[in-house]
Amino acid sequence: MNVKFLNPFVEAAFEVLKIETGCTIQRGDLNLEKSLYITDDVTVIIALVGMVNGTVFYSMNESTAKKLASKLMGEKFDEFNSLAQSGIAEIGNVITGRASVKLAESGFESTISPPTMIQGKGASISTLDYPRIILPMSSELGEILIHLSLRQGNKNKLNAAQIPVPEAPKAS
Amino acid sequence: MMNVKFLNPFVEAVAEVMEKEVGAKTTRGNLTMQTSAMTTTDVTVLINLVGQVQGVVMYGMSFETGLNLVSQIMGQKFTEFDTLAQSGVSEMGNVITGQATIKLSRAGYQSNISPPTMIMGNGIKISTLDFSRIIVPLKTSVGEIDVHLALRESPPGMNNTNFVDLTVKNKTP
Repeated sequence: MNVKFLNPFVEAAFEVLKIETGCTIQRGDLNLEKSLYITDDVTVIIALVGMVNGTVFYSMNESTAKKLASKLMGEKFDEFNSLAQSGIAEIGNVITGRASVKLAESGFESTISPPTMIQGKGASISTLDYPRIILPMSSELGEILIHLSLRQGNKNKLNAAQIPVPEAPKAS
Repeated sequence: MMNVKFLNPFVEAVAEVMEKEVGAKTTRGNLTMQTSAMTTTDVTVLINLVGQVQGVVMYGMSFETGLNLVSQIMGQKFTEFDTLAQSGVSEMGNVITGQATIKLSRAGYQSNISPPTMIMGNGIKISTLDFSRIIVPLKTSVGEIDVHLALRESPPGMNNTNFVDLTVKNKTP
């Protein structure tokens, strides 16, 4: 993975979490993993398509998710209900959106997908041949791990599977 | 509310790809619509669409179906769902979604697809939040595949903008 894709995410996560929660955020040590990601309680998946191609996961445990949602919306969540889920997915969306704006400024335009939320501990998620950089962000709310499995895409954004295969010429 | 015209390209694409790659006939079961979270079966391939159609497509199947599928595609018997098998099933999802987007673009909806993500594990909940899902159960000779479509048409002018940026800017003092 290209390291220049990392900093926009670090900055975006710092800014967004700081503005939205008002907590002091600390960055932990980076890690590179090629193996499966075994899920924590809550995972938000957002894909990037364009000059940067790949997937970003935001993972945290349920207590962190509830605390974060409570901070974001200014109301106490005792249960991780659909409103809290939507809040957590939205923070993933905002961080990724802001990071993609920064990436676009450095010449890597990409579009982000709507967030998908996975709940349940112990499932394994594979990004196949994309290795993941893991970026831990900790605060008083708990730890949020940002998994980046990104690589440089091509300009016309087309995935190989989207190119129509021409029909074989008929033998005359 | 999902647009039903996004449905048929996927059903056709699955049938075509299954026929070409696996030599299997597909029959479609009854459609259902869900707004609650999806509970996974063993293997789920997740692919996002961005562009004039946005959302997520998920292909759910059991390990057995996944193994039958890759055994057929790669012409060798798989007994374990190893990385090669995972890659094969993901690629299948990629090809089907790619074909479907070609059909969608012919109908006037340009979109691009993300690389596939594979989720393995039973009983995990996947929520598409405010997108409702149409579930298309497909029966093939290698087993059952459920196609979950959570797609919607992007609002005009939004397909290439990072609209989320403003929400943060407004909050800064």
